[in-house]
Amino acid sequence: MNSPDVIVIGAGVVGASCALALTNAGLRVLIIDRGPVASGTSGAGEGNILVSDKEPSPELTLALRSRNAWFEVNEDIGGGFELDGKGGVVISRSETGIAGLKKLARAQRENGIDAREVNAAELRKLEPHISPTIEYGVHYPQDAQCQPMLAAAQMIRAVKKRGGEFIQGENVIAINSKNGQVTGLTTNKNTYASPIVLNATGTWAGDIAKLAGSYLPIAPRRGFILVTVPAPELIFHKVYDADYVANIASGEADLQSSAVVEGTASGTILIGASRERVGFKSEFEIPILRQLARQAISVFPILKEVQLLRAYRGFRPYAPDHLPVIGEDGNISGLWHAAGHEGAGIVLAPATAELITAEILGKTPFMDPTPFSPKRFMNQDPSAGVHVAS
Amino acid sequence: MKPEQVRVVVVGGGPAGLSAALNAALAGASVLLIDSNSKLGGQYWRHLPETWLEQSELHLDLDTGLLLISAVANHPKIEIWSGAEIWSATHEDGATTLRLITNGLEKIITTKALVLATGAYDRTLPFPGWDIPGVMTPGGAQSLIKGHGVAAGKRVVVAGTGPFLLPVAAVLAQIGCEVVELLEANSPLRWLKSFPTLIQNLSKIGEAAHYIAIFNKFGVRPKFNRAVVAAHANKDGELESVSIAKIDSNFKIKKIDRVKCDLAAIGWGFTADTSLAGALLLKQFVTKDEGVAVSVDENQQSSIAGIFAAGEITGIGGSELSIAEGVIAGLAAAIYVGCKAGISDDHRKTRAKKHKFAEALISSYPVKSGWRGWLTDETIICRCEEVKYSKLKFAVTELGATDSRTAKLLSRCGMGMCQGRICGRFVVDLVANESGISPSDISEKERISVGNRPIITPISIELLANGE
Repeated sequence: MNSPDVIVIGAGVVGASCALALTNAGLRVLIIDRGPVASGTSGAGEGNILVSDKEPSPELTLALRSRNAWFEVNEDIGGGFELDGKGGVVISRSETGIAGLKKLARAQRENGIDAREVNAAELRKLEPHISPTIEYGVHYPQDAQCQPMLAAAQMIRAVKKRGGEFIQGENVIAINSKNGQVTGLTTNKNTYASPIVLNATGTWAGDIAKLAGSYLPIAPRRGFILVTVPAPELIFHKVYDADYVANIASGEADLQSSAVVEGTASGTILIGASRERVGFKSEFEIPILRQLARQAISVFPILKEVQLLRAYRGFRPYAPDHLPVIGEDGNISGLWHAAGHEGAGIVLAPATAELITAEILGKTPFMDPTPFSPKRFMNQDPSAGVHVAS
Repeated sequence: MKPEQVRVVVVGGGPAGLSAALNAALAGASVLLIDSNSKLGGQYWRHLPETWLEQSELHLDLDTGLLLISAVANHPKIEIWSGAEIWSATHEDGATTLRLITNGLEKIITTKALVLATGAYDRTLPFPGWDIPGVMTPGGAQSLIKGHGVAAGKRVVVAGTGPFLLPVAAVLAQIGCEVVELLEANSPLRWLKSFPTLIQNLSKIGEAAHYIAIFNKFGVRPKFNRAVVAAHANKDGELESVSIAKIDSNFKIKKIDRVKCDLAAIGWGFTADTSLAGALLLKQFVTKDEGVAVSVDENQQSSIAGIFAAGEITGIGGSELSIAEGVIAGLAAAIYVGCKAGISDDHRKTRAKKHKFAEALISSYPVKSGWRGWLTDETIICRCEEVKYSKLKFAVTELGATDSRTAKLLSRCGMGMCQGRICGRFVVDLVANESGISPSDISEKERISVGNRPIITPISIELLANGE
């Protein structure tokens, strides 16, 4: 493509969403990825579209808009990525856990979330196989799920049909700039000119920022997921323990895990979720798989008899304050970031794309994007003075 | 449970595993033999019924098999766990941990010396109707006969490529099936290229003569350059007939005839079962027939010290090569744990001779790319997930997949119960073809990664939860 308006680096769900929104806004978009579509974190997750796991905050505002935006994207591109508004159920068993969950649900309701407290009987109507020890939960009808690889692939397919381009198998080795303004980028194979480069490389976004002479503190947070053999009609919602919300916000580096269980369109059941900060360590750790299995059984004893078929792991991109990084770089103009969404990259992608698109076009976005701005990391570069923007 | 320490662990109870276990034990090592089948013998000597003792014409190497099985079963230093499925394996600090399920319980074994002899299974190619009941692999047909003494049909077509078609057709004829067609896709002339190797392996000519005699007796006339390219079901959904094509040397269809049958046994050689080797991250390579095998040195040692591999997983070569490799692997593993033993030149010479023959075999029975032309958009590619060819093509042409992993995740090809054991190998070729990548440009990594299965076989969530 000759002189695209924007080059998006990264063909994951966030990159694909941004490319689609920018294309729909009339810009000529080139997507570049070193691998195939969704070969990073997007291809290693559950496809969560959750509003339930967020406390009232700018992130919840973003998630709520994004959840609705997913259904608009589905409409726009003609589906094909198993979007399912099946709803979520959050449970808790301890007195303090239940009190915390009640408080969270109340605060969420005040912020426009449909959060319905359910008693033991109602819970069993929603999930007939739930453990008899569970007597309280909150039902979130807005929670949804999609198949994230298909979502990225279908969005990129739409981008290509609308005049955009996707180049895979090229690794970005330089972000080119002149007088502090981006002029394009160079891959291991070619150089491309563009006034705007959008960094949507998720867990690897810090590397791209570094290439440009800037700084983003994004690091990996590893997670494992178990996949069972097809066992349809067992689990109907995304069901998880309220501890999960606490784990997400935890600053600890060691292993946290809590039960997250759900069925999928293909009949398999996904079991998560673990979080640890161990860098890009890829070994399958059997003790973690066992812990996930124990937690899942404690919520759904019927899972005992179901066979584990596969397991996979991925690396969530997290920033120190657990907020995504959305907006223009503080050091290099024309370099934009849409990354660091941690475990919420799927849900937050379409609204992230709306913020990016509005800001690039100089329009007023649907919410104040300041909390997500990459500028919050300015002057934090531990190696400042070493990297000089050229 | 505390991980148990055993000196040499052998995985697989076929020709290679039996030979390895026996030779490690003879060298003085205590051996644990783990086998997923309920009885020793592997796929090759699977479930030999006692009554076959008087019917040795049903199986050529019956004597060797029974001898080896009984020597292993009666050796005081060999403990045997049959029906044991390894679901996970990891290697750390010079020791391998195997987690396996036996009698409904999980056991954990740790060993410094491991011999992998996990064998191979039939290589399949998809074609319209290959998912109709009554269409099976030669191995599948054979295990029905060996396991239950019954054939799944009366009028049988045996087709595909490779010498394994001959014993399967012979045994079907001998137990009373009408073998209406025996079809070899390649030309018999291909063997002339390997003539010197052939005359050095005269026993193989004897074998061929043995089968020719059987075929003459039962009126079976083998035909060459022919393949089953479609199967057709009756109104009950069972196999009624197959389309048999005359094909050229690249497997392109020239002319089609329809033949009635109720059983079609179709196989295209073998695929090594490298799941366990892959879980242990052993170095693997792509073989001449575009399969994947475990790399080994002259002592059958893999890229990890203390882990040895023998038999079909080091490259498809048949039972005699498997035995030769198993002998060396067993001795080498025993030496590795400190037993005093030697690997003689004779052992190495036997292996070299059998190896040469195996190579000739591979080049005489290639699978040529023309088979892709047998497919239609409606042809099922992944049987577990019932994925049609059109859906796989969509993943490439519309959704942008250029490698088989991405195509798999976008189409669900290979995501089902068998975890790509059946379709994984040919999906690589189909995706490459759709992406305009020539077969010779498919990367080693791409072919090898098809066999990556961190969870080697399914395990119940309860057993997983209860383990340590």
